[in-house]
Amino acid sequence: MTTTASRPVAVLWMRRNLFSTPLNAFLTVVLGAGIVYLAYLLVRFLATSNFEILRVNLALFMVGSFPRAQLWRVVVAMLLLALMAGLAGGMLKAAARERSKEAGIRLAEVRGSRAVVGWLRRFWPLSLLVIAALALTRTLIPTLVVIAAVALLVASRWLGGRLGRIPRRVGWLSVALLPLGAYWILSASGLGWEDWGGFMLNIFLTIAGILFAFPIGVALALGRRSSLPVVRAFSIGYIELIRGVPLITLLLMAVFALGFFLPRDLRPGSVTRVLIVITAFEAAYIAEVVRGGLQSVPRGQSEAAQSLGLPGLKITRLIVLPQALRATIPAMVGQFISLFKDTTLVAIVGLGDVLAASSFANAQPAFNAQGLARITLPFVALAFWAGSFAMSREARRLERRLGIGER
Amino acid sequence: MTDPQPADGGKPMIVLENVDKFFGTFQALDDISLSVAKKEVVVVIGPSGSGKSTLIRCINRLEKHDAGRVIVDGVELTDDIRNIHEVRMETGMVFQQFNLFPHLTVLDNVILAPREVRHMAKAEAEELGMKMLTRVRIPEQARKFPGQLSGGQQQRVAIARSLAMQPKVMLFDEPTSALDPEMIKEVLEVMEELAASGMTMIVISHEMGFARAVADRIIFMADGQIVEVGPPEHFFTNPTEERTKTFLSQIL
Repeated sequence: MTTTASRPVAVLWMRRNLFSTPLNAFLTVVLGAGIVYLAYLLVRFLATSNFEILRVNLALFMVGSFPRAQLWRVVVAMLLLALMAGLAGGMLKAAARERSKEAGIRLAEVRGSRAVVGWLRRFWPLSLLVIAALALTRTLIPTLVVIAAVALLVASRWLGGRLGRIPRRVGWLSVALLPLGAYWILSASGLGWEDWGGFMLNIFLTIAGILFAFPIGVALALGRRSSLPVVRAFSIGYIELIRGVPLITLLLMAVFALGFFLPRDLRPGSVTRVLIVITAFEAAYIAEVVRGGLQSVPRGQSEAAQSLGLPGLKITRLIVLPQALRATIPAMVGQFISLFKDTTLVAIVGLGDVLAASSFANAQPAFNAQGLARITLPFVALAFWAGSFAMSREARRLERRLGIGER
Repeated sequence: MTDPQPADGGKPMIVLENVDKFFGTFQALDDISLSVAKKEVVVVIGPSGSGKSTLIRCINRLEKHDAGRVIVDGVELTDDIRNIHEVRMETGMVFQQFNLFPHLTVLDNVILAPREVRHMAKAEAEELGMKMLTRVRIPEQARKFPGQLSGGQQQRVAIARSLAMQPKVMLFDEPTSALDPEMIKEVLEVMEELAASGMTMIVISHEMGFARAVADRIIFMADGQIVEVGPPEHFFTNPTEERTKTFLSQIL
């Protein structure tokens, strides 16, 4: 046994996990060779490619045709949103700390290097995207802006965590007002969301789509279970109608066919139309997700609430929905991720989102007919992968946290 | 059959007259008539599927009876939502599976109905809630979530939750059947204290020790009918009906 004991742990580990049987050893060698080859291809791609097309068009990818002289508005909006996110995160943490203190549970505080490692593990996909984008910039200003945003995030999170119960109300009010402020900054001086483009448009359509579709979806799910026949019939009809039609068809109808039905003065812009379609479409899917959640709440829950004398609306609002929505988090996030990726469909109906930016860039005289989609499309893919992966990780965190101590 | 009327002839708290209940073509309750006096404790026994649960679920309208009358403290249960509401406010119910709200703390479970139905102020409701939790002997668990408690503790919270509405009647649907044996006692003790305090109670239970100690009357049900009614000593010494004897020989 002395020989094995003197061997390094790594060798033992490899023998146990990678070379335990001849078949495993064979698979290890084949897969290992494949991974090494892929890594070589990636390194060669990064080392030999000319990323000039991304450097020149970075603003196009990020904000589309948003006037370059007004880019400071995007910066201010970003800072406001960082402030909001930090404040909200800090206040949620403070509230959780107070609750667990009341319950007599001590939350383990993670500090120092372990906290940094935790943050890296949590945010590495997004950081990868940000670093990739910053590597493509020509001046130092974007890097400084990102550093300022991160600093603001950390500072406001610290501040949010120190607020007591009463100041937190003001805090939440500002969390609600800050996005409105960001919107106001972005849309002032004659600019509206019709002028937004690039990745900013994809993000805007995702967030606005979720915010508008969620309440409608919940209402439809409840309507589908209603005892009123008219409400039920409408909900079922709406859900099944929308779910039976591809999103791209609805988008094309909204952009190209709606004009025939509306008087000229009432025709909203393309982004508005697309947002309405996305909202209507997502609402139907969210309704089905919520319905699944509603079915997962045992009957005994509403019976107990009934026997206590609670009226029907309060039973739904206070007992059934909170439990149902918790149960739907995984499916709901899946739906949001798919919406995020589906926002690229607006490129087909002529909106200037990040995918359309890729096509524009490839059509520019300096870059056309050189097969540079092999540069631009992976960049677009990286942006969506980072966003989607971040969403699914945050959802897992939320699930774990809500699961603790309940049921 | 023994007389289903209470012995002491006071004004009844619960009256059922010729109640029928169908689930599809299955008749769950068949011409049930029963009167329960104030402060009376009635224990209902019978094989599964005999209609015991349906009987008490008709008393707070979790099930709608198809024929006959159900009157609780002078209020008849009709389709009128106000009557149903009034009866539910006066009737507490404890379930076999506890049915605590898992997303609320123990204290929030208890004060939910006082807050939302009786519109009590928060501080007042919390004081009442702590009093109720003290009554079932778990005030120290107030800030925990139901999932962190044992079955016996959860069932005591469920009792406190019902008591917080200060009901005149408590209905128990097999409150100890889902509990591990060592936890049954702590729940039965709370129920015994409740009975001693003068609460009107209908309890579905096969805990014969509890029935013997607390029940004023025992009702034996089978096939949706009341087969035999009588005081505990009658049941344990000389039940008249053959089916009662068979059933008791199986569970005792």
